[in-house]
Amino acid sequence: MRADPIDIDCDVLCGSWPPRAELDFSWPAVRARLDAAGIENALACSGRGAWFDDADGNAETLALDNAIPVGTVNLRNALRATAVLDDLQAAGVRAVRIFGPLQGCEPHFPGYRHVVDGILGRGMVPLVEGDLRHCWQPFADRGARVVFLDVHAYHLADFILLARREPGFVASTRLLNAPDSIETVVGEVGASHLAFGSRTPLHDTSPSVLRMRHARLSDVDWTAVTGGTIRSLLEKT
Amino acid sequence: MKDHPVIDVHGHWGPWFFAMDIGDVRENLRVLDEWRIDLQIVSASEAVTYDAPGGNAKLARLLEDQPRLRGYVVCNPNDLTACEADLRRYLATDSFVGVKIHTSYPRRAISAPQMRDLFALLNDFDAVILIHTWGGDVLDLPRLLDANPRLRVIAAHMGADRWDLAAEAAKDCDRLYLEPSCSITDAGQVAHVAARVPEGQLLFGTDATLIDPAVSFGLVEDARLAPATAEAMYWRNAAELFGLQDAVRAS
Repeated sequence: MRADPIDIDCDVLCGSWPPRAELDFSWPAVRARLDAAGIENALACSGRGAWFDDADGNAETLALDNAIPVGTVNLRNALRATAVLDDLQAAGVRAVRIFGPLQGCEPHFPGYRHVVDGILGRGMVPLVEGDLRHCWQPFADRGARVVFLDVHAYHLADFILLARREPGFVASTRLLNAPDSIETVVGEVGASHLAFGSRTPLHDTSPSVLRMRHARLSDVDWTAVTGGTIRSLLEKT
Repeated sequence: MKDHPVIDVHGHWGPWFFAMDIGDVRENLRVLDEWRIDLQIVSASEAVTYDAPGGNAKLARLLEDQPRLRGYVVCNPNDLTACEADLRRYLATDSFVGVKIHTSYPRRAISAPQMRDLFALLNDFDAVILIHTWGGDVLDLPRLLDANPRLRVIAAHMGADRWDLAAEAAKDCDRLYLEPSCSITDAGQVAHVAARVPEGQLLFGTDATLIDPAVSFGLVEDARLAPATAEAMYWRNAAELFGLQDAVRAS
């Protein structure tokens, strides 16, 4: 099993989470979990933006120490998405997380499309929640660089088919949990299509970390999946 | 790595219909070695998803020369005649130690009358059952156990997204066991269950080779269980439930 540090976790939350109010979502507690797991950097955002208010949530996110900030935009009130995205861009934020299922917004809704256009138009990287088989379409055929956070091992064929024609489509490793899923993606389309993610602290951290540390990858590919791919996406923003 | 044995009570052998190359028994043995699992109790994927008698027969042949594997006889609640024949054929052997029941593929909920009749049949065989649970249906198991006093039942995935209900169901029902395998990795679920369910009812399952054992090992690791509780969960309870003490010593 590899013991090297994991450079970047692309799927980290903090703040508060109403259905799991008993969990400690404070940033110091989250950071401690990441440290204990050997994860050095995190794309993190406050749950406030997902559940309640995007602008205030982004302010909380930008105040985090030792995090790579991820913005949020309220899909349910996309009328102010332009202003929110402008503010994020001015603050140097390079990634925006889209909480479609949580906010009850389907990828074909006008507000969802408007937000996606705004993110991609600014060269930012969307981190997308939801079933890949539904949420891929607004990003297709436009050279998008996008991270799908919920690609499941059961849907691996669909992701690989998309990745073959979309060089910027990246899957988080969290749900790629069949014994050969990570290896199959790297073998079929390359490590530039994978990024490590754990969804700490909403999900336990060790399942994703153990799978990553046991992945049967070359050193070069392992380094890419555990940080290189994300760094490359963000550097292009 | 653990310094004690591990028994995986929820394993599979055979291919699935997803994009994964895991059908050969060598993949079972690879993950057992990688994760230092001593014994794995498996059902045939073909039996679970399509043809129970056909899959059970193939598994029976495989188990003849796989000392680290034991089998579950898969029972389809829609065909009790075939179930009874397979139970008589396989449960008396050393290779098969329990019964696996799914709910999604045969499209029979735990509350279905067909499941009631199947459990009554299994009661005659003193069976240990591993049954798929997902959500609130885990609450239907205590009633079936009350009606069938010789059965012991493992709630596979410990209710998945309703592990809180699984804990409620098991804490007052000493013949209901829980195992954590699941691709859903909600934070704290194993610790929640372990704090409420008697230690003797905790088991370790992975769902391998459908799911990598990393997931279940990680769930248990993050629960920070007391060493004695962890050992009970990882192997002692399974060894007693399935009578595998000698097999563990031999592994």
